Amino acid sequence: MRWKQFFTPVQSMNSEEAKEFMSGKTQDEFTLLDVRQPGEYEKNHIPGSKLIPISELDKRLDEIDPSKPVLTY
Amino acid sequence: MASQMLAGKGFDQVINMSGGIKAWDDPLAFGSEEQGLDLLTGNESVEEALIIAYSLEAGLQDFYLTMIDKVAVDDVKSLFRKLSDIEVLHQNRILEEYIQITGKKIDRDTFESGRVEKAVEGGLTTDEYIRLFKPDWNTSSDIIALAMSIEAQALDLYTRVANRSTDERSRVALKKIAEEERAHLEQLAKLMDSL
Repeated sequence: MRWKQFFTPVQSMNSEEAKEFMSGKTQDEFTLLDVRQPGEYEKNHIPGSKLIPISELDKRLDEIDPSKPVLTY
Repeated sequence: MASQMLAGKGFDQVINMSGGIKAWDDPLAFGSEEQGLDLLTGNESVEEALIIAYSLEAGLQDFYLTMIDKVAVDDVKSLFRKLSDIEVLHQNRILEEYIQITGKKIDRDTFESGRVEKAVEGGLTTDEYIRLFKPDWNTSSDIIALAMSIEAQALDLYTRVANRSTDERSRVALKKIAEEERAHLEQLAKLMDSL
């Protein structure tokens, strides 16, 4: 059993903090995840985001590395 | 909420971006996940990927150079010169990367002969960017905003292509170029603040 799953708290960051978090890392060290609908993504998205709409998230978890920080919006 | 769900599935660190996209005050990227993939498909070898990336940077540099003569205000002329210089530095970085990765001693002319025409960074043509952003050509802040939007689009394209890349060396090289675009954006943001 992965005990960790009960203790992983969700952090919150504002856009400034998120920007600073990403700028200190390589692209391979985090996942920036857009969970909105494809139409919203197409209109605009934060550069470098991966799109997985929240309705598909449970089926597509294998596309995200659980050992890396994930920033969602 | 997505972040709660990921936290419950054993993800090590989950960060919810408060305010979402509305709170993001840097340039955004636009277009579908396939935008620009006619230029860079993700199936390229690392050599091909770097030549295409170089072409995109060179296309943007050409655009900045042609704009120097088209604008009247001196400050804006020197801004375009500065933007063009930034692209030259980035082209040099990509050429160095190519030489380092392939071990091939290639001169700039040969490297440039493989260039892809008509597109600039991010996969759109300059005309398309101009239509989208309609900058005032006499206003430095408008031009920096346009340049930042192009970099944002480029960062996005390189990341998307890297994520679907079938070649590990291409993937690594494209991610690195994407990181450099992020650094470019920060550089331009500073330039904007200095106006």
